[in-house]
This record gives sequence, structure tokens and C-alpha cells, in this order.
Amino acid sequence: MNAFLALIARDVKLTWRQGGGAGAALGFMLTVIGLVPLALGPDQNLLQRLAPGLLWLTLLLSVLLTADRIFQQDYEDGSLDILAMGDQPLELVALAKALAHWLTTSLPLAVLAPLLGFLLNIAPGGLWPLAAGMMLGSLALSLIAGLGGAVTVGLRRGGLLAALLILPLYVPILIFGISAATAMTGPSGAGSSLIVLAALALAALAVQPFAAAAALRAYLR
Amino acid sequence: MDFSAPHIGFVLASYLLTAVVVGGLVIAILATDRGRARELERRKNAGSSHDR
Amino acid sequence: MQNFANPTRFLALANALLPWVWAAALILLGLGLYGALITAPADYQQGETVRIMYVHVPAAWLSLFAYGVMAFASAIAIIFRHPLADAAAKVAAPIGAAFCFIALATGSLWGKPMWGAWWVWDARLTSMFVLMLFYLGYIAVWQAVEEWDLAASIARVVALVGAINIPIVKFSVDWWNTLHQPSSVFKMGGPAISNDMLWPLLVMGLAFNILFVALHLTALRSEIAARKLHRLHMHDVGAL
Repeated sequence: MNAFLALIARDVKLTWRQGGGAGAALGFMLTVIGLVPLALGPDQNLLQRLAPGLLWLTLLLSVLLTADRIFQQDYEDGSLDILAMGDQPLELVALAKALAHWLTTSLPLAVLAPLLGFLLNIAPGGLWPLAAGMMLGSLALSLIAGLGGAVTVGLRRGGLLAALLILPLYVPILIFGISAATAMTGPSGAGSSLIVLAALALAALAVQPFAAAAALRAYLR
Repeated sequence: MDFSAPHIGFVLASYLLTAVVVGGLVIAILATDRGRARELERRKNAGSSHDR
Repeated sequence: MQNFANPTRFLALANALLPWVWAAALILLGLGLYGALITAPADYQQGETVRIMYVHVPAAWLSLFAYGVMAFASAIAIIFRHPLADAAAKVAAPIGAAFCFIALATGSLWGKPMWGAWWVWDARLTSMFVLMLFYLGYIAVWQAVEEWDLAASIARVVALVGAINIPIVKFSVDWWNTLHQPSSVFKMGGPAISNDMLWPLLVMGLAFNILFVALHLTALRSEIAARKLHRLHMHDVGAL
């Protein structure tokens, strides 16, 4: 357990030192949100209606853009080989790296993204369910990104393939995230959608270590 | 089938499209299989002649 | 495990079975088309348009079935490490994707007269759309990874993760659909469909399935030949 936590701490520290983390991804989100009124016009009512969906879409895309960072560097400099030979099962290594990605990238993005909603005239009542949904969903986003990163880690042009594999897996998270954020008009409150988001994160937590480790083993062989 | 019915074009287009896609798939798979079998046969004959 | 463990027995079996499977597929297809286009009555609401159902619904069934075959073969490949299972999963994907495309395109052709639009984001079409994306991703893995063994290992993971996700996607899309309350102009008959419409549908479904078996066995035989050719080529260039 200690080695597991140490690995998470190492990854968090490394990401921070290299300035990888959420910073650049947040800049990307800000840019995309800035382009939206230019593409769709500055109509306040329209932007308010589209705000939750646009914020969720940009969140998915910015997590996706950071997916290759989860394993790439450790694969290229050989640290992953050493980790694979260590005492810890590769499943736990894969999980630790995805959790570190969540702590450094997805979770900060999920906390800060709803604030960008003010640029889109977001409805005040919709802010909390949006933020809660993003925070719960971001765990699943990171785990699935970790899976996509593991599957494409040794490929020279893996980025596009990773996107093609990851985005369809994001469909349920997107649906329930939006459902929580727009619950006032939906058939049920935000609560049930948030519960489903938590369940999706748990399911990703159960599947990701094994699937990612299987993919990593294929590359390390 | 009543060919003067409304929307009959959509029905015919559906069957035509299915025929084209399934037919193309059948032809592509059969042709690749034949081609590879022939190539293997050719290699086998060539291999035995100069006796590796 | 560069080579298929023991394809000789499989090849003998496939060669013996294939003519019969092709014949059965053709006969059933003829019978199904006869039922679908000639004996089946037009629907009292949809008119002749209902005949699209006899290709649309079997194609949709088959695209799910093909994914099932793919996932099952991938699971077998993981458990028994038999490379023939990897090849079986690999060649099932393009066939499944083709039938998925047929289901989407005929759904669109059915939607235009019924809904007045080429594409409507209703629950069924959306789920099929996502299934198509899963197929494309799986096929892209085999295209992107050159080395066979590596591609096979990666593809297994992708196929099984997709298989876990398909029911989840179906569930979420159904939920999403109730959230948006689409104007459902028509509903599929459900089990209350009359017998002279039901039998052509079932016969077409069976015909498509047997056609899949014929295509799958042929493509698998073809894949084995491709591996043999690849090995001969590697031998020639001195890599083995």
C-alpha cells in the first residue's frame, strides 16, 4: 500500500515540477470557450442553454489531450520496465498512474471548469450540479484516459487512435454529467444522475487496472 | 409489392444499398481468399523447384 | 506464437463446411426475400415502407451478434492463448461493421419518410452509432499496429472493454432519450407483429446469420493464408 501511495506521490510531484498538470489543459479550455461565442454568436440565452454541454465537451477534450502523458514518458525512459519488474503488480502501477493523472489534471479541471461557465452566462442554479457531476465524472475520465494511454503507449502516432478509442467510452459519462447539470428540466433530480456517475467511476476503477496492465504487458514484452 | 405506393423509392434504395454492401463484402472476402490461396500455391511450387 | 497453433484441422473443417454454409445462406436469403417482398403485407400505417424492416432489423441484430463473436473470440484468446481466436476476432470486425453500416443507412432511409428527416437521434440509432464507433476503433487498432502479436494483444483488450461498455452505452442512451422526449412518430410493432410479417423477418435474420458464418469462415481461412505468406516472405528476406 505504501509503495502504491509513493508511486502516486512521485507522479504528482513529477507532473508539478514539469508544469504538466492542469495548467495547459485549462488554457486549452479557456481558448475553446472563448471561441464559442465567435462561432455561435453572443446571444446570452443561447449561450446559457448550451453552457453545460459545451463545458462538458471541452472537459472531455482537454482530458483526452493529456491522456498520452500518463504512461508515455515512463515507457520511453524505461521507468515502466523497472516498475513492471518491481514487487508491485502492474495492475496497481497502472491504477496509481491514472489516479495521479486524476489528482493533477482531471480533478483541478473539473473544479475550475464550471467557473468558465460565467463566460457563457451559465444559469446560477446549474452551477453546483455541474461542478458535482464533473468532479465525480473526472475520476472515470482519468481512468479511461489511462486505459487509452496504455493501449497506445508504444505507437508512434498513437494520439489519434487513443482519441478514437477513448471518446466512445466517454458517452455514458457525458450523458449523466449533462443529465445532472440540467436536472431542473429533466424527469428526475440531479441526485440519481450523480449516483450513476459515481457508479460509472467505480466500474472504471474495477476494470481499468486489469485492462491497462494487459495492454502495458504487451508493449513491455 | 405495390410499386406505385408512396415512398417506394426508399424501400428500393434500402434493398439496393444492402445488396451493394453485402455483395461487395462477399466479393471482397472471396477474392482475397482466392488470391492468397493462389499465391500460396505458386510459392509452394516455386519452393519445391529450387529446393531450399 | 507467431504462427497459428494448429490450423490444419480448422482448415479441413472449414473447407468441408463452407460449400454447405454458402448454399444454406443463399437458400434462406431467397426464401426470406420472397417473404419480405412478396408475401408479407404492407403495414396499415406505414404502407410499403415497412418492408425496410426486413433488412434493417436483421442487419442490426447481426452487427450486435458479430460484436459478440468478436468479444467471445477475444476472451478465448486471453484464456487459452490460441492465436486462431485472435484471427477470428480480427476478421469478424469488418463484417460486423459492414452490417452495422447497413443498419444505420437503412435506418436513415426508413427515417426519412417516417420522421421526415434523414437522421434522428433516437435511442436505437444513437446506440447503433456508438456501436459503429467501437467497431471503427477496433479495426483501427489492427491497422495502426504492424506487429501481429502486439496488435492481437491490444485488440483483445479493446474488444473486451468495448463489450463491457456496450450495455452501459445502451442504458445511458435510453436514459438520455427519455430526458429529451423525442416526438416518436411510430413505434416498432413489438411482439404484437402478425405472423405473415414475423416469419420473413426471422428467416432474414437467420439468413444473415448464416451468411455471417460463411463470410467469417472464409475470411478466417484467408487470414491464415496471409499469415503463411507473411512467414514465407520473412523467410525469404532472412528474418527467420
